[in-house]
Amino acid sequence: HLQAAKKSLWMNGPEPRSTSEDSETDDDDEEEAIDQEEIFDLIRKIYDPEHPNTLEELRVVSAPQISIEKNTVKVEFTPTVPHCGMSTLIGLSIRVRLIRSLPTRFKLDIVVKPGSHQSEHAVNKQLNDKERVAAALENPALVKTVEDCLSGRD
Amino acid sequence: MDEDFAYSLNNIAQLGGHEDRAWHVAWNPEKALLASCSADKSVRLFTYSHDGEGSLKFSLSTTIPTGHLKTVRSVAWSPSGKTLATASFDSNIGIWERETSEDGDGKPGEWECASLLEGHETECKSIAYSSTGTLLASCSRDKTVWVWEVQPDSDFECMGVLMEHTQDVKCVAWHPTEELLASGSYDDTIKLYIDDPQDDWFCCATLSGHESTVWSLSWSPNGKYLASASDDRTVRIWRRVGEYEFKCVLILDGHDRTVFSVSWGKGRAGKSDSEEDKESLGWIASAGGDGTIRIWEVSESPASEVPLAKMIVRLPEAHGVHDINSVVWCPRKGYEDLLATSGDDGLVTIWKIQN
Repeated sequence: HLQAAKKSLWMNGPEPRSTSEDSETDDDDEEEAIDQEEIFDLIRKIYDPEHPNTLEELRVVSAPQISIEKNTVKVEFTPTVPHCGMSTLIGLSIRVRLIRSLPTRFKLDIVVKPGSHQSEHAVNKQLNDKERVAAALENPALVKTVEDCLSGRD
Repeated sequence: MDEDFAYSLNNIAQLGGHEDRAWHVAWNPEKALLASCSADKSVRLFTYSHDGEGSLKFSLSTTIPTGHLKTVRSVAWSPSGKTLATASFDSNIGIWERETSEDGDGKPGEWECASLLEGHETECKSIAYSSTGTLLASCSRDKTVWVWEVQPDSDFECMGVLMEHTQDVKCVAWHPTEELLASGSYDDTIKLYIDDPQDDWFCCATLSGHESTVWSLSWSPNGKYLASASDDRTVRIWRRVGEYEFKCVLILDGHDRTVFSVSWGKGRAGKSDSEEDKESLGWIASAGGDGTIRIWEVSESPASEVPLAKMIVRLPEAHGVHDINSVVWCPRKGYEDLLATSGDDGLVTIWKIQN
């Protein structure tokens, strides 16, 4: 199951040789533009790992904090407190949601709002290190936590 | 803006089969074999040969399932070409050798795991054999670099654990002729190590200058320079100005995202094409998150300590929209114009540079 999840994480797009049918994307949207609101819709309902609230309710994410330039999507988020230890998990959840939902042509930059976290540089570096993200997503416990954030509470 | 480049890079083979992102490729230095590894935990071996019309044909030789529990991040051949090492996110290193067939017909049999090196605490990210094949280096997110001695019968003894970096160690690369090891790290630095015959391996130099993670290292074929690729979107060229003293003499920029890989190939030996008084240092290829392959022809003149780098290829979207994770020149004589890349599309692509 983890294998399937992982596969869809990294190989979610329209692959010429792929027969995948779980993809939320299709060939037709290849050149379709994507705007702030659409990206925001994808991430607003992600749950905060420590609160019974969504990232939108906690004002961790907002539409104006999303920017799109050609095929690069940059999402800035605001941790609830400047020493928030969950920031990398929140950022990872945002990244996973977007990897799964957006066509593969989009490159993602996930960063905390400047000045909003005491370890801003370290958090940003970790969130955008492809190898660390890949390794994190091979950690079943971490994947479970991310899935919980993405799917809401029981 | 159209640029005119003296060379073109032609796709001569596209090798599929990996079910997840292809992280790394390694050309066997002795035989017509190419190894690739992937997040799908397998290694694929491809052979190549000239067909009747003189063009190169690549075909799958075998797939090694490896048994690693997580991503196989990188692969490295021993200089003899007989042994393949795998570095995995499961923190182990696999040593692979081809068993001799039990039929006694002399034909080589299956690739089998001759040894499993345990020691790293977290993801092992890179491995490299020294030029003589007597030493193996490995590095990990646990911030350490290990130097292993290769002993008979696939035995390995750890000769040193170097804890110099303050963060993940992303890559290791041995000098082409000396027992001098370089490592690149998430702490933005490059460190060099040598063996003290009376004591242990130690760090003899630290190269600072990159503004973010150092992802890849490649020595110039003549051993006088080291190239480094970084998340700061540049490739830096370090010149060896003393026995263990290096100086950044050139910064190659132009990539729009992280540069994940750099490879310094022999290119055409001898005088460079353009200017008679310049000695060719070979070709530097780089690639990364922007999906573009860039190749520079590098040369030096006796009068200057700064080499000249002229871009001779810039190929965007080499793996479509996908990141390129590795770019590697073929080291074999007569095949120095071949380049292999691997990408997030799971493909390994072979390129031939032509003018």
